[in-house]
Parts: sequence; C-alpha cells; structure tokens
Amino acid sequence: MRTLAALLATQCLFILGCSPPSEEIAPLEQGLIYCSEGNPESFNPQLGTSGTTIDATSAQIYDRLIDYDSGQQQFVPALATSWEALDKGLRYRFHLRENVAFQSTPWFTPDRQFNAYDVLFSFNRWLQDEHPYHDVNGGQYPFFVSSGLIHLIDRIERVDDHIVDFHLVRPDSSFLANLATDFAVILSAEYGAELMHLAAPQQIDRQPIGTGPFQFVEFRKDFVIRYTRNEDYWREGPYIEQLVYVITPNANKRMLKLITGECDVIPYPLVDELAKLASDTEIEVTSEVNPNIAFWAFNTEHPPFDQPMVRRALAHAINRPAIIQTIYNGNARLASGVLPETSWAFSEQDQTYPYDPERARQLLAEAGYPDGFSMDIWAMPVQRAYNPNAQRMAELIQSDLARIGVNADIVSYEWNAFRRRLARNEHDSVLIGWVADNADPDNFFRPILSCAAARSGSNRANWCDPEFDKLLVDAISETNQAARKAIYQDIENYVLEKVPLVPIANSLRFQAHRSDIKGVELPPYGGLSFRKARKVAPEDMTAGEPKP
Amino acid sequence: MIYYSLRRLFLLVITLWLLTIFIFLLNYLFPGDPLTNMTGIRAGDEFAYNIARQAYAFDQSIFTQYWHFLEHLLSGNWGQSLVTQRPVFDDILPLLGATLELSILAMLISLVFGVSLGLYAALNLHRPADTIIMGISLSAYSVPVFWLAQLLILLFAVKLGWTPISSQINPLFDIDVVTGSILTDIVLSDVPYRAAAFADALNHLWLPVIVLAVMPLTMLIRITRDAMLDVLQKNYIRAARARGLSEARIMLRHGLPNAMQPVVRQLGLQFSILMSNIIIAEMIFNWPGIGSWLVKSIYERDYPVLQGGLLTLAALILLVNVLVELFHAWHYPQVRKELYAER
Repeated sequence: MRTLAALLATQCLFILGCSPPSEEIAPLEQGLIYCSEGNPESFNPQLGTSGTTIDATSAQIYDRLIDYDSGQQQFVPALATSWEALDKGLRYRFHLRENVAFQSTPWFTPDRQFNAYDVLFSFNRWLQDEHPYHDVNGGQYPFFVSSGLIHLIDRIERVDDHIVDFHLVRPDSSFLANLATDFAVILSAEYGAELMHLAAPQQIDRQPIGTGPFQFVEFRKDFVIRYTRNEDYWREGPYIEQLVYVITPNANKRMLKLITGECDVIPYPLVDELAKLASDTEIEVTSEVNPNIAFWAFNTEHPPFDQPMVRRALAHAINRPAIIQTIYNGNARLASGVLPETSWAFSEQDQTYPYDPERARQLLAEAGYPDGFSMDIWAMPVQRAYNPNAQRMAELIQSDLARIGVNADIVSYEWNAFRRRLARNEHDSVLIGWVADNADPDNFFRPILSCAAARSGSNRANWCDPEFDKLLVDAISETNQAARKAIYQDIENYVLEKVPLVPIANSLRFQAHRSDIKGVELPPYGGLSFRKARKVAPEDMTAGEPKP
Repeated sequence: MIYYSLRRLFLLVITLWLLTIFIFLLNYLFPGDPLTNMTGIRAGDEFAYNIARQAYAFDQSIFTQYWHFLEHLLSGNWGQSLVTQRPVFDDILPLLGATLELSILAMLISLVFGVSLGLYAALNLHRPADTIIMGISLSAYSVPVFWLAQLLILLFAVKLGWTPISSQINPLFDIDVVTGSILTDIVLSDVPYRAAAFADALNHLWLPVIVLAVMPLTMLIRITRDAMLDVLQKNYIRAARARGLSEARIMLRHGLPNAMQPVVRQLGLQFSILMSNIIIAEMIFNWPGIGSWLVKSIYERDYPVLQGGLLTLAALILLVNVLVELFHAWHYPQVRKELYAER
C-alpha cells in the first residue's frame, strides 16, 4: 500500500505541473524560439542553396564582406569598410575592418582577429580545386558554380593584413551583388588550420565558427538548433541571450505552436489560415515583398519536352489566374515574365502565354501528339515563399492538362531526396521556384537557366542553349543600365519563345510572430536575421506607444 | 525454477540471434551497396570504405561476413548514419532514455489506475459504478491513439492552453542530454533554474503519458475485474468470510494478490502494444525518442539508423516479455507447477 501512496503522490505532482509557473524565469525572458520548417543541410551556406539552410545559418553565425541595404538600394559596409573598382573593373580592392573577433567557443579559442587570411581561406576553399578544404564535406559549391562566380574570380591577393584584391577575368556588373549574398560568408582560417591539425576537417561545417551575432551551441537533428549571443559582436546587437530553432516541418503544427506560445516566430504560415491568425491580438503577421518566382519547368532533355512546340502547348493549357486565386488566395501577382515587378529590368509587357486550351490542342497536334501523352509533375513536399502548396497546384495543373488529353501523374519525395533526384534530372516537369539572392536581374537567369547551372544540377529545365548564354554574357558586360535593361527584355522574349519553363506567380513572403517580438528582419534578398530581434515586456509595449 | 529460467533465457538468446540474422540479411535486401547499408560509409569515401571492407570481411564468404557483422554489433559498433554521419550506437542511448521515460510512466499510471478501477468495478458488480467504468473503458479502448492524441492536444493545448503541444521541455531551458530521460537529466544538471525546468518538463510530459496510458489502462481494468470476479468465487475466499475476517482484509490479503496473477501475465503483452503506440505518440508530440527516430530514418532511407532502431525496439520488447514471464513464474508457484506438468 505504501507504494500505491507514493504513486498517487507522483500523480499529484503531475497535476501540479499542469499550472504554468507564475513568475518569469530568466532563460525564458531572454530567449527566442523560431520554429523552422526543416533541418539545415550543413552549417555552412557555401555548400548549399536551400533556403532552410540559409535561414538557419548565414546571418546568424557569419558575416559577409559587404551587405545589401534594400531600403537604400545600395551596398553597405560589413566586414569590409570600403571598396573600390580598379583597372576598369578588373580588380576590386577591399579594405577590411579591424578589431573584429571570431567567436570563442568551448571547442575553439581564436588567437587573432579577423584579417585578410580569413578572406583568402573562405574564398579559395571553393575557388581552388587543390585547396585542402575544397573536397571536405562533398566539395560542391552550387551557388558559386551556377552564378558563375567560380569562373569570374581569377585569384584573390592579400595586399596587407587589412587589404585584399580580387582579380576578375572580365568586368562583371553583378560581382558586388554576388558578394553581398548569403552564400559569400567569411570563415576562420585559424579554425581551419586547427581542425586540419586535429585531422577533423569535416567539423568546420558541423561546429561552425564565424564572426556573426550568434554562436553555435548544439544541433539535435529533427529537434533543435541552439545558439547563444556572441558577446563580442562588432556591431549593433544581438539583444537576445539565446536563439533556438525548433524544427517543425508540419505547417499546421507550426501554426498551433505559435498560438500556444511555443514558437515566437514561424515562417510560411498557411495562407488560408492567415486571416484567422491575423485577428488574434497576440499574433502579428508580416509580409515582405520577396523577389521570387514560382515556375513550372520542363526537363528539356526528356522527349517530348525537347520540342518547344510541346512546351508552348502545355503553357497554353494551364489556367494560371485560377491557380493564383486558389493557391495564393490573391496574395500573389500573376507572373508576366521571369523577372518580378521589383526588379529594375522589369517591363509591363506580358511575356507569357494566355490560357487557351483550343490553341494548346492544336499545337500538340502539330507537334505530332494529337492524342496527348503521359507525363510526371513533380511537386515540392515543402512550403516556400513562392509556393505555399505545390501539391495542390500540381492537382490543378493535372486537371487542366486532362482537358487537352495529357495524362499527368503527381510525384513527390522527402525534400532533401527530392532535390537530389531533381539534380540528377529524373523528372519530366517540376513545380518549383527561385528566390533571388541579390538585386541584380542576372540572378534571375544565370542561376536557373544557364548552361553552367545545367552542369551543376540547379537548372531545373536541364536546358543549355549557347545563344541564351551569349545574351547573358552581353548583359553582364554592359555597364549602362538602360542598355542592360534592353538586353534583359531580349532575354525575356527568348525565354518566352523557347519556353524552358512557365512562370506562374510572384508572391509575398509571409511570417508570423508573437506580438511581443520586435525586430526580426526579413530582408527581401536572402535569409532571415535575428541580429536586432528582441522580446519586449508587455508594459514596455504600452509605454512605447505615443500617448494622446 | 532454475531449469525454467535457463530455458527462457536460452530462448531469448536464440530469438535475438535470429533477429541479428534477419537484420544482417536486410542489408542485402535494401537497395544499394550492402556495405554502405551496414556501416553508413559511402563508396565515395574510398579510404574509409576500404577500411570498412576489411573490417567487415566483405571479400570473404557470407558466413564470415555475418560473423564479423555480429562481432561489430556486440562491441557497440553499429555503423554511422547516412544523413548525419554520427555513430548510431552513441545516438541510441539518449533516445532510448526518452522512450523508456514515457513508457515506464505510462505503464505505472495504467497499472495503478487500471488495477484499482478494475477492483472497484468487480466489488460493485452490476451496479452503476461497474457499468460506467466498463462502458468508459470499452469506448476509450476503441479510440485509436493518433486520434486521441490530436483530440487531447486540441482540447488541452489549443483551447485551454494548459499544456504545450510538443517536445520534452521548453527548448530555452538548456539541459544537457545525458540519459535522454528529461526528468533525470534535469536532476543531474547544474543549471540555476532546476525547479522551474522540472515543472516545465512535467507540464510537457503529462499529456503524452496520458495518451499512452489509455490503451493499457482500459485493458488492465477489464483483466483485473475478470480476475477478481474469478477469485471471489474461490473456496478460500468463502472460507475467509466464514472465519469472519473483515472485508478489507479479505480483499487485500487474499483477493488482490491472487487476482494479480493473470494481470502480471498480461503485462508483457501490454508493453508490446504500448511500444507500437509509442512510435505514433512520439511522432505527434515530437518526442526525441527511438520511435520517432525510426520513422524518420524510414523517410530518409537511412539504413544503418533503421537497423539500429529496429534492433533496439525488438530487443527491448523481447527482454521485457521474458522478464515478465520470469517474474510471473517466480512469484506464482502454481504457474510453475502448470509449466512442469505440461512437460
């Protein structure tokens, strides 16, 4: 009987545990929980292109040489205090910031501050095939290959401890924009050397060291990533002691956890539930113009998609305005070309095919498929800013295609497996999209449609057209903005003619957070930053408001 | 008893051995390179791959390969995950701790409430209390765990806001993972906010524990009730009554201990059912246990992890069943008599 009583006592403890602790506890007040949509692939953004990895690492652990200020539409100093173009744009000189410390963690204590060797180390890792770190953890640097940066930079030279020169193969107007992306992060050369000495080089991307506002503490796959404040951060922030990413792939659960207060900030809230969320006074929904494009890409190497006429027929077959209504609830703009409205090279001219099933059937017959054919549509298993529900979109397209006699099957895999198989071009067609990394229009074409992108496996249309690549080179070699704009319009028309992909929508990027969280930056280009995030106590919120 | 124990233990070893053969063969049945499936080392990493080839004797006959596989398995070398490249065996222990914490608490609760409610129902046979208890337990038994979990989350977490939806503890509490059992880890840690963390962990714990306890609870209520009714018919109870013993004494000294015998026999089976439910519950509550780990490894085709999870869960279920049987035979002599008579 005594054991029974003890058990009953445990039971009471349970019941006591039900009431939430009344007084606030320090770690809860000074920390922030972000419920992310997936696991990062690694802790080094150089190695990937996934938005999930960027959001989890780039702006938190690392800094770049320069940042892009989307408000002022210009580049601003970060780890480089100033820079100049020399030799007619063939050489860029960067003056590096002094007194910037790398993070000091239980597994690494830096002996020196940031200097030119770190810049050399970070860039040479992917530039030079023979660099000791080049092949560590896969040796794939998809962004640098598909953006062409790997062929643009000839070499990097250290002038002195705080001056480096980048020598380019040719002048390129998108160079600075590419340096300001989330991929061009600065690693610690000293940490690299130490790991090499310990014969554990692969740790560099698993236990990362950077100069950023937060330092890595632990990562438990499928559960949490924990960061703490970098005490010696060189610029403003961070204001929170602890930043925790809780990995919550299910969009419904993410929303519920925001309501119960288990998440402070969530990405990609469900569009159809937005209205319900927004009416809740504890929760705020923010949206940012996001330079993105959702598209339907055809694998142009797989017959019958090697025929432009077939691709054109399919483009005519789908009812895009209906998709915008159903999938985005009107929170997106019907794409009128590859470039979104926010780009300076955008034009009002409609560069897409109108919905016309009759014409589609006619084109199919001309191409030799009067009775249609069967095909696969690959739909992403995750929500992205440009496409909140690819599965549903695939279903709509499936029914549109049935009308012209094309029988479509919908295919999906787990996200990392999906991307791997896409890179191997196993698909017929895929519903995916692109979020620009920088403001340059080049970033909308070269990383997704060039031959270099086809080689690195990020060209979802598997499309390599030398004429198109020549137009791209013409565009980046031109420095006059008006002339460049004209070339980009030619490029748009060329894409319209060849239809490697069908542009569908430019959407807003949504994020929801508890109303006591302020300052979570959702920059239009690239990943999320928690540098200026803070938790305001309820009394401060009212005090902060202007009194009548 | 010694003979019986040896026989049981021998059977356990044989079953485990068959399990290792099955798992060994799985490596050949999964798509891809058997050595990669076994060790998690990809052929691309030539140096490590060749070392593994040597270590697992992949240039020799399949029997030698199995022998080397078994050796590695027994020495705790279970390969590395294809996804995280971390050693599987090192990752299993904290996951096992988290799973055991949930299952032991759920089992304890179902035992305490199941037995007492079953007893109460038996003593109030055909009265309203009995009908109500049996009615509720039957309907609760019919609710699948995944549905019950969603309903309770909706009610207690979303509508009432009493409890969080998922995970072991508020992740802002930085508790080092040692055993995986969150309550133990909090006690072991030296953070300044231990009491608050403990309360928070309990607050996260009670909902999954209740969800998991429901199924064995309802079973135990019915088993206890039937067993008690059976015992109450027995002559020694009548004799006790005739001797004028108090009703409480009859129940606690003579009724209950004897009624517990079929209940104990059922515990192993209940544990097996609990383990299959725990996989579902861990997925729903995002519990860092071995069940959710196993399911995710299936999604990711992470074969070394899949094998490790399978082996651990199966071995755990076997072990608990054998221990329950041994306890049963040791504690109830009449069971032993039956067993030997059969022979």
